[in-house]
Amino acid sequence: MPQKKRKTCRILFEPSGLATDVPLGATILEAARRAGVYLTSICGGDGYCGKCKVIVDAGDVESPPTTLLSPQELRDSTVLACQARIRSDLTVTVPRSHALDTGRIVVDSDAHRFSELPGEDIGEGAFPFEPLVRKLYLQMSPPTMDDQLADHERLYMAIRERLDVPLMQTGYRILQQLPALLQGAEYKVTAIVAERGGVAEVVDVEPGDASDCNYAVVVDVGTTTVVAQLVDLEAAATVDAEATYNSQMHFGDDYIRRIIYAEEHNAFDEMQRRIVHDVNDLVQTMAVRQGIELQCIASVICAGNTAMTHFLLNLDPRRIRRTPYVPAAAWIPPIRAAEAGIRINKRGLLYVLPAVGAYVGSDIVAGILATRLYEAPALSLFIDIGTNGEVVLGSKDWMVCASSSAGPAFEGSGVKHGMRAAPGAIERVTVTEDRELKFRTIGGEAPRGLCGTGLLDTLAGLLELGIIDRTGRFADSESERLAEGPDGLELTLVAGHDGQDPIVITQADISNLVRSKAGVYAAIQVLMESTGTTYDGLDAIFVAGGFGNYLDVRKAIAIGMLPDIPHDRIHFVGNTSVAGAKMAIMSRRALARAEQIAGRMTYFDLMNHPTYMDAFMQANFLPHTDLARFPSVQEAVTKTGTGNREHAE
Amino acid sequence: MPLPPVKETYSGQVNEITLGGGDRKSVTIGGAKTIPHGGDREATGRRPVIAVDVLDAPPEDWPPVLADAYADVLQDPAAWATKAVETVGAELLCVKFDGIHPDKGDRDADHAVQVTRKVLEAVDVPLILWGCGNDDKDNAVMPKVSEAAKGRNVLLGTVTEDNYKNLTAIALADSHFLISQAPLDINIAKQVNILVSDMGFPLERLVMFQTTGALGYGLEYAYSIQERECLAALAGDKLMAMPQICDVGYEAWRAKEAKISDEDAPEWGDAARRGPLWETVTAIALLQSGVDIVRMRHPKAIARVQAYINGLWGSDA
Repeated sequence: MPQKKRKTCRILFEPSGLATDVPLGATILEAARRAGVYLTSICGGDGYCGKCKVIVDAGDVESPPTTLLSPQELRDSTVLACQARIRSDLTVTVPRSHALDTGRIVVDSDAHRFSELPGEDIGEGAFPFEPLVRKLYLQMSPPTMDDQLADHERLYMAIRERLDVPLMQTGYRILQQLPALLQGAEYKVTAIVAERGGVAEVVDVEPGDASDCNYAVVVDVGTTTVVAQLVDLEAAATVDAEATYNSQMHFGDDYIRRIIYAEEHNAFDEMQRRIVHDVNDLVQTMAVRQGIELQCIASVICAGNTAMTHFLLNLDPRRIRRTPYVPAAAWIPPIRAAEAGIRINKRGLLYVLPAVGAYVGSDIVAGILATRLYEAPALSLFIDIGTNGEVVLGSKDWMVCASSSAGPAFEGSGVKHGMRAAPGAIERVTVTEDRELKFRTIGGEAPRGLCGTGLLDTLAGLLELGIIDRTGRFADSESERLAEGPDGLELTLVAGHDGQDPIVITQADISNLVRSKAGVYAAIQVLMESTGTTYDGLDAIFVAGGFGNYLDVRKAIAIGMLPDIPHDRIHFVGNTSVAGAKMAIMSRRALARAEQIAGRMTYFDLMNHPTYMDAFMQANFLPHTDLARFPSVQEAVTKTGTGNREHAE
Repeated sequence: MPLPPVKETYSGQVNEITLGGGDRKSVTIGGAKTIPHGGDREATGRRPVIAVDVLDAPPEDWPPVLADAYADVLQDPAAWATKAVETVGAELLCVKFDGIHPDKGDRDADHAVQVTRKVLEAVDVPLILWGCGNDDKDNAVMPKVSEAAKGRNVLLGTVTEDNYKNLTAIALADSHFLISQAPLDINIAKQVNILVSDMGFPLERLVMFQTTGALGYGLEYAYSIQERECLAALAGDKLMAMPQICDVGYEAWRAKEAKISDEDAPEWGDAARRGPLWETVTAIALLQSGVDIVRMRHPKAIARVQAYINGLWGSDA
């Protein structure tokens, strides 16, 4: 029987100009994935988040009815990319406000948004410089009749003259190649010796002196953003940094959605391919820019939430989202990077920092390492505001941790005009003397949306102006600044111009943000109440996360996200996931410390905690139902007299 | 050996408020410094008060046992109010404006104002004026009702997290008292109090209401939340120091066990006794939680609960 050839269609995406061929009947989202066009998809393609809107300029699609598109959008041939089935060749425009930037985030001047803060070298110098991977130039004397020591033992002896390594190991391949290699190089070789679970492994042997070329890549595998730094292990210096979006975002904005997607579509391999591709892309970019051969990069060290490290290594993540919430591994032994598909030196190693459990990952352990909370003399708090809001409370004596399902709102997801910290994102919002909102964007570009700090500032600004009340509801639904949008009432922040849509914030966005901040605060409250500690005794708060500019402490307190303690005790520490992982690659003692930290932390499961929901409901108010917790906010409100009258004595 | 009396002492106190007054009768509620039966009689504050329901329009869904008790006055709120005071013995009335609800007759503001005026003329006990629960309709009608009762120190209901601005503003302007409502959630109760207070409304003029559950229909939730609110007041939380009201009459008579007829459930006992008993048991249980006003309907239930209150609190505070 003749096989019927399936028709394929050519899909052209504008404005990127990327194109691909897909079978007739595929969805536009599938085509976008294939073409490498990034579309936001919170629901992972189930057709209910309404984020993947695109405009069909030419060609036929079959699009089921949905309430997520307005009549205007339907007239403009807007469709949901995940629902629209391709019926012919198409030209599709991806609206700029909905698309992720293709390509990489420009790091240069914005490096601090994704990595540690400039000029604030947290933790550096805390550990002696003893990198996990060493390159040793060994000048051995060739064997003679008086010195019949075998090649392999000769190599070990030479290494032990330089390093204190009681236990050593060598791979079979190296052994096979060793005699020819040593003879050919006249016993002058460079050995790559790497720490591997307490054993020093001879990873590779190269002829001649290659010891000055020893690089490592440090990666923060984030749910939203993947950040990498290239580190020169000889000079103990960071030579480059690069960030990109996690291309798994196609399959859902949070990792629980991605696990569900992977399960339903048996796409675990695909998940790994995506994240490994992202990492390889970053490594390649930095290596090319610095003129370094991949051969010279002998190690990669990663930190990230537990789901992300599982995806990276293709470990079974399914029970992360199911009781009793058990990951495949919290401590992952070093493996050959090539086994995971990461392209560096082909025998190079992949290290993953240890995690605490399913919901407190190695990025948090890295944060504790970097902020040195584990040796803090007084009570300190570490908060990582990402897709999940993880909180660690403690000091040198004890540490407890929890993860609030804060949601990705402060990363710009789940918010109509939310976006990642990228050029054009509103990152700072201030209230002017004329009681108007003033916006500043990253790169000074025309505003395209709001990133985390911009959203936080907006929330504080709307509250200050009385545009929203303490529940986060628009105070005056009759106000002329408000309009009824497709998602309910919305406030226009930036009027549309030059064909750009206006930037609005909807009632649903605000409720989302309030819930996010409530999740973080409630997690802090539960940990503090469970340990019988008080805000007065809190010596420092470290706020980590790469969600935009520096947080405005006053505003973070005004909306009740951070406890009301003196501002000088609150420190913004940027991406501590990268910082901590870098410390570990540079010092094996730091890695040992990270393992201790992971083992020392006591995890509090908030989902089943008896008072978490109550604490959350209390925090689901601006700043908080218990106003006595925010004395400085009350003071400010009374001073500015925005209609708040105090009746309590 | 005699057992020493157990006395609980607290730092806070439930606010005391007086509804009505002037040339009309008044009733004072609140003032508890301890939980019900938790110490000396004086420390338990004013005795709880029953508010007898009067509806602005004839109810369509009342079971015969309940409707029969007011059969001669259902059409006339003024006569109903008079009967409630003179025959049932009400010292506080709750005029419930169900008839303005879009689904229950959609009567206009004029109607509501007329009802208010007539009831105020017919009786001289203090009033609670309670909207229909439809936000838009209440926002349109209740301000006019409030105005019609200006100077009478009535208790207006209700404001919620979603709809508090109109009624708060008008209650403030007309110097009335106000009921803040929450859906069985102590945190939302406090949040509504804060929102109302942010508009400049004095906390001392607020009464709190949590959605009530009747016997068999969530009574224990209502009990717990009311008790927690009472304990919060006694612990000194000024934002939770308001007296509380619950709605037993409406909730108890929604219960199948209260309203089903003898023909349909002969094995459940005489409907004429069963319904009022359901209301009585619900009211008496909730009175232990520290609630200050109990809205009720059936004369037999009211008489029994009043006797209970008189027995435990004394007939006069």
